[in-house]
Amino acid sequence: MDKGPHGHVERPSWSPYDNNGGTAVAVAGEDYCVIAADTRMSTGFSILTRDHTKLFKVSDKCVLASAGFQADAKTLQKTLDARHQQYQHKHNKEISCPAMAQLLSNTLYYKRFFPYYTFNLLGGLDNEGKGCVYTYDAIGSYERTGYSCQGSGQQLVMPVLDNQLKSASPLVLPAVSSATPLSEAEAMDLIKDTFASAGERDIYTGDAVEIIIINRKGIRKEVLPLKKD
Amino acid sequence: MAAVMVEEAAGFSFDLCRRNASLDKLGIKPPNVRKTGTTIVGVVYKDGVVLGADTRATEGDIVCDKNCEKIHYIAPNIWCCGAGTAADTENVTGMISSTLELHRYSTGRRSRVVTALTLLKEHLFKYQGHVSAALVLGGVDNTGPHLHTVYPHGSTDTLPYATMGSGSLAAMAVFEAKYKENLTREEAIDLVASAIKAGIFNDLGSGSNVDVCVITKDGKEMLRNFETPNPRTYNRSKGYVFPRGHTPVLSSSVKKLGDLVTVEDASPAAGELEAMEVDQKP
Amino acid sequence: MFLTRSEYDRGVNTFSPEGRLFQVEYAIEAIKLGSTAVGVATKEGVILAVEKRITSPLLEPRSIEKVMEIDEHIGCAMSGLTADARTLIDHARAETQSHRFTYNEPMTVESCTQSLCDLALRFGEDGEDSMSRPFGVALLIAGWDESGPCLYHTDPSGTFVKYEAKAIGSGSEGAQSSLQEHYNKDLTLKEGETLALSTLKQVMEEKVTATNVDIAIVAPKFHLLTDEEIQEVIDRL
Repeated sequence: MDKGPHGHVERPSWSPYDNNGGTAVAVAGEDYCVIAADTRMSTGFSILTRDHTKLFKVSDKCVLASAGFQADAKTLQKTLDARHQQYQHKHNKEISCPAMAQLLSNTLYYKRFFPYYTFNLLGGLDNEGKGCVYTYDAIGSYERTGYSCQGSGQQLVMPVLDNQLKSASPLVLPAVSSATPLSEAEAMDLIKDTFASAGERDIYTGDAVEIIIINRKGIRKEVLPLKKD
Repeated sequence: MAAVMVEEAAGFSFDLCRRNASLDKLGIKPPNVRKTGTTIVGVVYKDGVVLGADTRATEGDIVCDKNCEKIHYIAPNIWCCGAGTAADTENVTGMISSTLELHRYSTGRRSRVVTALTLLKEHLFKYQGHVSAALVLGGVDNTGPHLHTVYPHGSTDTLPYATMGSGSLAAMAVFEAKYKENLTREEAIDLVASAIKAGIFNDLGSGSNVDVCVITKDGKEMLRNFETPNPRTYNRSKGYVFPRGHTPVLSSSVKKLGDLVTVEDASPAAGELEAMEVDQKP
Repeated sequence: MFLTRSEYDRGVNTFSPEGRLFQVEYAIEAIKLGSTAVGVATKEGVILAVEKRITSPLLEPRSIEKVMEIDEHIGCAMSGLTADARTLIDHARAETQSHRFTYNEPMTVESCTQSLCDLALRFGEDGEDSMSRPFGVALLIAGWDESGPCLYHTDPSGTFVKYEAKAIGSGSEGAQSSLQEHYNKDLTLKEGETLALSTLKQVMEEKVTATNVDIAIVAPKFHLLTDEEIQEVIDRL
């Protein structure tokens, strides 16, 4: 076996992971939740498709956004969908967003040493009808927040959200609502601008952004075109 | 304390090679450099050469310049599109343009494209690919229109149509589909612009606008931002206004500049410029 | 029942030609030998009251455990072979904890009851932890979940039914008719306690004391009454 420049044996390597890019943002308000992700799917310097949704509707009150590796995201979605189906049969009710948040954490941690290469946001309404956003790392560490961002545009977008939203930490005592003070329309305005800006500087964010709005009236979707370069 | 005298060994010193290898072993990465992960093209047409480039400069996956210039000056009749490390393309074209300028002073003749080509490839070959400049060189001289590509290791091609950079495949696809001989000026510009756009839209390393440069025997025309196909799609209605006091002032103190430095009269009348006037004397 | 006894009562999962599973029916019979347990659901909470048979003056009454906590919001009273109940309750405790771990929420009382009945029906199957015979115990499961307070009854056949008030064990017939007579939907928690204990008192041979009954409430959390608290209820009778 050939020795490499560092004296140890070198073998050609193959990685089971790819990074397909993309950015996801979620903002929770007092009585709504907005969750958005761009629709570009890419690898290296190539665009694979301009029309791939990273959002997955788990239930009427719960939407998952996954950036990272598309194949893992798809598997994760199918797993969660199956678990939700089982939950509905077993417990005779639709799963709540906080319950799905815990289930997602466990599902990710179950693969602690061969993780799903996905960066997730879970948004929806909690049992009291308040907006909630859960943000994760790839192996299931999670936190309920007022807003969050995941994916390739995270470093660009997060400071803007911090500056514009700065909702209370969920850890402060006495407990303060983690929801942001923005109205639904203001949140939409901010999120659209955020994606337009991320598309300017992050090469993996672009083409279009899908925005799902969940409030007491129900669930609806908007699509904003982005730069395609 | 007595110093130990070490006799200097003759020949090359490879100390830095060993240093670099050990830094690499420690996992220390060399600094990030700005790369124009680029689409650049050129085509020869009936009356001259048309060069084209996108305007995106990237650093990894971040766009660091949305409207940079990648068509560099070599001589009034020779221009060069650069892809690769921005510093390398800028400096290598600058050095060769200086050399040609001096050469024109000594000979009094118009520079030839082949001269620029030779200087470029000699320089790049000498650096064995470490100067990462991938170029599309075009111009018109006394022998007619010329178009060349230059690779970072110093190899060159002479072609009727050429592409370079990360978007070269996308752009070449357009050329292979649409190129024909004896294009008119308008056809050539259109072809170059659509080749660049193929790179802008299909290669993530390329983006923003289309720059075009047309060179004929009568001179050149730089069509900077010939097309701008990527306008922003949304602007926040509120904008981002930070009212005075948005950032709280925690404390403040004022120091007078005069307390820290001595201010003296520096006018010529002060008579301290004797030494500087030396070269004015006959 | 003994008149129809036949060879069909050997295999635990063998139907008789009349369509009966004798071993299950015998298990249900076993409950009728057990001490009486009463459950009453009110809009303010659910009450469980059980009789403790102090068979010897040397017996330590507190060692008789017939009301147990399954989870913070679910309690359980038993009658029949109480040793069998331990297996069931261990299972229910594991299930409710697993639900909390998986979903970060309490399990509904119905789901918990369903899971208990799934286990109750799993007798006679192959496997290390499977029972060879039906569980000889009936349970009253009191709980409080998102749909409010509720009371379930399970038996060895794996059937479960929701009740407003239910009695099981040796005195169940008398106790049930008494409950039917005195129960109404608008009972307060205190009135529910009184009803449960007075019903129990009617069918108990011994005089009711703080040591020979156990009372627990779920309102909305499980709480096993102390001797003093039981005495208060006795004093209200």
